Amino acid sequence: MSSNVFTIKIAGPAGAGIKSSGLLLSHILVRHGFNIRDYVEYPSLVKGGHNTYQVSFSKDTIFTARYQIDLFLSLQPKHWQQHQPEFTDKTIVISEDATTTVPLKELSTPLGSRIYENTICLAIACYLFSLDQQLCKKIVSDNFGQQSPNNQAFQVGLDYSKEHFSTQIISSVAQTSQETGLAIHDGNESFGWGFLQTGGNFYCAYPMSPSSGTLHFLAGKQTEYGIQVIHPEDEIAAASLAVGASFAGARSAVGTSGGGFALMVESISLCGAADLGVVFYLVSRPGPATGLPTWTGQGDLLFAVNAGHGEFNKIVLAPGDQQETFDMSGTALNLAAQFNIPVIVLSDKFIAESSASLPDLSQQKIDQIISTKPLPGTPGKEYMANSYEHDIDGFAIEDAAPVKVSVEKRLAQFEEIKKAIPSPLFYGSKTAQNLIVSFGSTKSTILEALSMMDNKDDFAFLQLRSVWPLNPELEGLLTPFTNIIVIENNAHAQMVSLIKSQFNFNPQKVLLKYDGRPFFPEELAKLLNS
Amino acid sequence: MTIDNIRSQIAPTWCPGCYDFIMYLGIENALKALDIPKEKVVIVYDIGCIGNMADFFKTYAVHSLHGRSIPTAIGIKLANPELTVIVVGGDGGIYGEGTGHFIAWARSSVDISVFVSNNNLYSLTTGQTSPTTPKGSKTKSTPLGTPNEPIDPVPLAKAVNPEIDAVSVDGHNPIEVIAAFKKAILHPGFSLVDCRQICVTFGKQLDS
Ligand SMILES: Cc1ncc(C[n+]2csc(CCOP(=O)(O)OP(=O)(O)O)c2C)c(N)n1
Ligand code: SF4
Ligand SMILES: [Mg+2]
Repeated sequence: MSSNVFTIKIAGPAGAGIKSSGLLLSHILVRHGFNIRDYVEYPSLVKGGHNTYQVSFSKDTIFTARYQIDLFLSLQPKHWQQHQPEFTDKTIVISEDATTTVPLKELSTPLGSRIYENTICLAIACYLFSLDQQLCKKIVSDNFGQQSPNNQAFQVGLDYSKEHFSTQIISSVAQTSQETGLAIHDGNESFGWGFLQTGGNFYCAYPMSPSSGTLHFLAGKQTEYGIQVIHPEDEIAAASLAVGASFAGARSAVGTSGGGFALMVESISLCGAADLGVVFYLVSRPGPATGLPTWTGQGDLLFAVNAGHGEFNKIVLAPGDQQETFDMSGTALNLAAQFNIPVIVLSDKFIAESSASLPDLSQQKIDQIISTKPLPGTPGKEYMANSYEHDIDGFAIEDAAPVKVSVEKRLAQFEEIKKAIPSPLFYGSKTAQNLIVSFGSTKSTILEALSMMDNKDDFAFLQLRSVWPLNPELEGLLTPFTNIIVIENNAHAQMVSLIKSQFNFNPQKVLLKYDGRPFFPEELAKLLNS
Repeated sequence: MTIDNIRSQIAPTWCPGCYDFIMYLGIENALKALDIPKEKVVIVYDIGCIGNMADFFKTYAVHSLHGRSIPTAIGIKLANPELTVIVVGGDGGIYGEGTGHFIAWARSSVDISVFVSNNNLYSLTTGQTSPTTPKGSKTKSTPLGTPNEPIDPVPLAKAVNPEIDAVSVDGHNPIEVIAAFKKAILHPGFSLVDCRQICVTFGKQLDS
């Protein structure tokens, strides 16, 4: 525990309230002035199995959750055992059957149910990190309501801790609680807030992990924000509804994961043909097919970039974390309105279902770009949005000359699009020995890994933010570096293929991970130095 | 602006004698009779011979994807309920490629009118079997006879939602077609007018 980042992990079966108590813990930590980043693992089932919630927190900047655990809380016996590689010799493991035994069953019996054991564990964590007990109790009671037995459970946990543990087990945490005004948002919520704050008003989705969080979040905001959220019969309908709404003047988006996105692909092409701006929020999970529904990966990069038959203009943005998901949700709506084209926001489970302490997104407005296309209802401007190749009024054309004109119009627009997309972000020194290149969710892990490394100055980092089109600046940013390291959360090094398809690119090292898990900072720090 | 002229400069390209002309005139007549301002009309066309009507009118319109005209129209109507939204499609698009959408939105009360040219065939693609082709009929894609029972769209739609206005009319009879279109547009919910037709070019085989 030499560093100023601490990590707590809670494990137990699905249905035991792992995530809810974990999020409550994160909330408590944020109210104590900590920055938090969390990470959740769960199998695709509703009861049983093995779920975990881990949160890293620090008074300093923190980019993502760490791998090594300071305090591990196992809600049921044995659930800690498979996590031993994450333990150091200082890790405190609390369980009915671990080094620090806590008789959770006995403690919860007077409360009438084992469901309160997660709250007892929460209290133990708060005690061991010497958090402000009054503040903690207030947050717990605000969360559950004053009458909830969880308040008693929390007290039981505190009392047990007082009797059995020294507060000094975990010493060096700065206890000053100061309000930072930060809120906790996961990536799906961040996308939803970006949509709302940029005037998004029509959202369609068919439930699919890990994208459903946005559907649930926006569905709950319909009345307050006067928006429409539709869960139709399938993803094809979701995309078609959004297309129609866009024609009628709505700022529309759809959300899905790989399988659902596959069903939307014809509509993406339609948007490209008929000049209709729609945002496609694609939250990847590992495929192929149903794949690993609740895990993470970046295997859809080339699919997103190539989605849609024929040649047309689209943009694919890849946010690297929750704040960028918010920003790019807005950017995507604006670009869709400016160019009347499909814009894909490519995220993944690691961003979408992990939470971060951020400035309260409900308070951040984003400037809007409004489409200049005539809206149905406007007299004298009647036109057709046509899936066939068409002239300026929308009528179908087949003669060679006008077809060529239409295609070249799209080619010319592509040049304008390249000027409007977000540029790559460069971190570190332009004269560093090595350049790390990545896109999307690996960003936070790379930055966290670098923050842990003594030789961090040997590395610069270039983050692609528009993966299609590639920003014209990219080539120039890469050229000075001879030692390039690519990091991707997939097996085929898709970003390497993508960059190679545009210009000469020969990375010296390609670090790939494709087991459904994200890279962890400690792991990456080691790999970067090997 | 009234609706006195909603025709485009493009002359219809259907085969001589095609009954899609009757649906074309039917839509024009119904809109005129109801005096709906031209700018308030949005027609969403499916893909097919009947969908080619898209080029013969000039209103706000979407020539959408094969089978996807209904959800596209629903999106338009939900985004702007002031608009009069009409779907024009064939038996292939509405009852085949788009069956799921047809059933799903017949369950709703969203006010769109769906006009179907039901010629028991995929005609634009030169005459393959459709979901309404009589069982046993030989078509290009079923030379041994269409193997499955045809669907009967009106009872099917009514079964999921008795509240909708769904009728099947003789598509060769302009009076019936115009009256049904007017009634459907006025109906404040989902409506279906199934126009029974024969495709004069590829339909003869269905008699055999
Ligand atoms: C996704 C897709 N599949 C297939 C086609 C080819 N296609 C065009 S029209 C059509 C059938 C049209 O039949 P129907 O809807 O009955 O219209 P009709 O031509 O008979 O008026 C088909 C299969 C297409 N355009 N898109
Ligand atoms: S092929 Fe049949 S449906 Fe198509 S235009 Fe000719 S007659 Fe009409
Ligand atoms: Mg037909």
